[in-house]
Amino acid sequence: MSDQITFEDVSKFYGEILGVNRVSLSIPSGITSLVGPNGSGKTTLMNLMTGLVRPSRGQIRVLGYKTDDPENLFKIVGYSTQFDAFPKGLTGFQFLYSYLRLSGADSATCERLSWQAIERVNLGEAAHRNVAAYSKGMRQRIRLAQALAHDPKVLVLDEPLNGLDPLARSEMIALFRAAAAQGCYVIISSHILHEVDVISDQVVLLSNGYVVAEGQIQTVRNEIQEHPTQIMIRCNRPRELAAKMFTSEHAIEVSIHKDERGLLLKTRDADRFYLALNELALNGIEIESIAPADDDVLSVYEYLIGNEEVVR
Amino acid sequence: MNSLWWAQIKAVIHLEFKKTLFARRGLWIYVLAALPVLLYVAFAFAVGNRQHHSERIAHRGEKQLTYQDLSAVRTGMKKDEVIALLGKPPVADHWTEERPVVGGPNVKVAHEEYHYSDGRSDLNIGIADGNVDYINLSSSNDLGQDSVMFAGVFQFFFLRLAIFFGCLGIFMNLFRGEVLDRSLHFYFLAPIRRDVLMVGKFLAGLLATCVIFLTSEILQTCAYLWHYTAAEQDLYLYHNHGLEHAAIYAGVTLLACLGYGSFFLVAGMLFRNPIAPAAVALIWEAINPFLPAVLKQFSIIYYLKSLCPVEIPVAPGTSPLFALLISNSDPISAPVAIIGILLVSAVALYISSLQVRRMEVNYTTE
Repeated sequence: MSDQITFEDVSKFYGEILGVNRVSLSIPSGITSLVGPNGSGKTTLMNLMTGLVRPSRGQIRVLGYKTDDPENLFKIVGYSTQFDAFPKGLTGFQFLYSYLRLSGADSATCERLSWQAIERVNLGEAAHRNVAAYSKGMRQRIRLAQALAHDPKVLVLDEPLNGLDPLARSEMIALFRAAAAQGCYVIISSHILHEVDVISDQVVLLSNGYVVAEGQIQTVRNEIQEHPTQIMIRCNRPRELAAKMFTSEHAIEVSIHKDERGLLLKTRDADRFYLALNELALNGIEIESIAPADDDVLSVYEYLIGNEEVVR
Repeated sequence: MNSLWWAQIKAVIHLEFKKTLFARRGLWIYVLAALPVLLYVAFAFAVGNRQHHSERIAHRGEKQLTYQDLSAVRTGMKKDEVIALLGKPPVADHWTEERPVVGGPNVKVAHEEYHYSDGRSDLNIGIADGNVDYINLSSSNDLGQDSVMFAGVFQFFFLRLAIFFGCLGIFMNLFRGEVLDRSLHFYFLAPIRRDVLMVGKFLAGLLATCVIFLTSEILQTCAYLWHYTAAEQDLYLYHNHGLEHAAIYAGVTLLACLGYGSFFLVAGMLFRNPIAPAAVALIWEAINPFLPAVLKQFSIIYYLKSLCPVEIPVAPGTSPLFALLISNSDPISAPVAIIGILLVSAVALYISSLQVRRMEVNYTTE
């Protein structure tokens, strides 16, 4: 069994409309976020990964399984979709139980797994209420429970935090992290970039159906040569330090932070700058912290795609 | 079929059966199935009223008449002979007709109409100028006639319209309904082969249509026999092929659900708009008697008609076109008909299994 989710030159067209084009990807275990604005191809990529749509070209394998083999694929994959419709007349428990029964498992096992999943998403009290009467957040949680119920190796979650309150969001994020820590492949789509920053081990940046970049966010950032690295330095005498910075050949732009307690510096060679900083920061200037200021998803996305497409 | 697939099929049937049977948008199917039952109930009431009327006439008669007495009257008999045979009529009308005569004065003709009954059959005798002019002997309990009526309603309403449209409503929605409700992904995200899912849904639809239409067929038989006496029912059911006919009608109903069900299952997968394929199928089934023998075989009604136990007689004077529609001009044997329907269904299910594997969840384009 392969240990990656792979897309080989995959394209998907809906008639003449482009879904995704020429996507080649390898997704390792851990939390991978698909990032992009609405219509960038995140959901299409997830639907392709789970066989809900077929590629117009190319091949997809999920840990070695073909996506047109649902009988085996969905033993290892759980997908929480954005589709907000459920089979009619079912309670939350019945929804999960029926879903699990479709796998052919016996009644007792399905009942046990259903309750486990319900507990994991904190829906115990509402389990016997009709899903149609659930709030948006509850429906989101029961979908997550459906994806988690059979303890899959691959979790595909389309905008999983939509509609959840802050407490539920942090609970879910903890749940995703725990799954990733156990070696699961957690693929999350989101257009809320600060959220992605917090949870992702790696990102896939999408724009207009194309993969713009993929990998760990810092690696992606380092590959963007045309935008100098920004570093935030917190210190007690920022103006004095700024003056010294200008003498360094590695600094190409320095500005004082608006709170006057630090400065923002741009450099094309961060590693050499860090080495040089020790010499520059002598003479009693106390440096409190040094941190990259633009290796988050938002900045990388701005650099690669442009301001107008970024959803904050 | 392995045990896993069977367990999965049972799970699909469990989910789908209730949904299909009690779907709000399927209420009209119950109406279609109930219509012939209501027709026979109304018929039984009408016959019951008529029998009551006949019994009153029989009660008022001078003599206790039998069917043989009533059928002994012939046209041309004298009025007195009739009275001697049947007694004074319990109900009688009379009037005078002025009949014009060419080149002379009008002639007055005395008319009388006598009504006799043995309590089950009615005899109307028209008498003109003291002689029997016409006779009308009718029975409210004519099983032969009623079984032809049953066959007509079964072939021309129940099979061609009720089951046809019922299967259209149920089987076309097995997958199309899920797409319209945006809930198809629920099934497509489960670890179940698409063709196993298709078989499960088909069997759930078949079970639902069989429950609806077999119940209707049984109720129709009960309603149709309602106005007969227990002895007549017993005679018909156990000594006159009645039970055998009822079983054959039930079998034909089941085969119709299977045939039309598999056809509409595949049509629901291939076409977004069910009206076009339904209209084409309806016309194709209707023109089946006029098709060449080879083309007839690609029809479900062709096989079903050959299985029906009662042939509908063509009345003398019926136009040849209409006669062709009524009669089964090219019947085939029961085994061939059953195999034919099973083959048509197998082909339709095979196409469905190919189609379901190609299906995508893409609600936005619907």
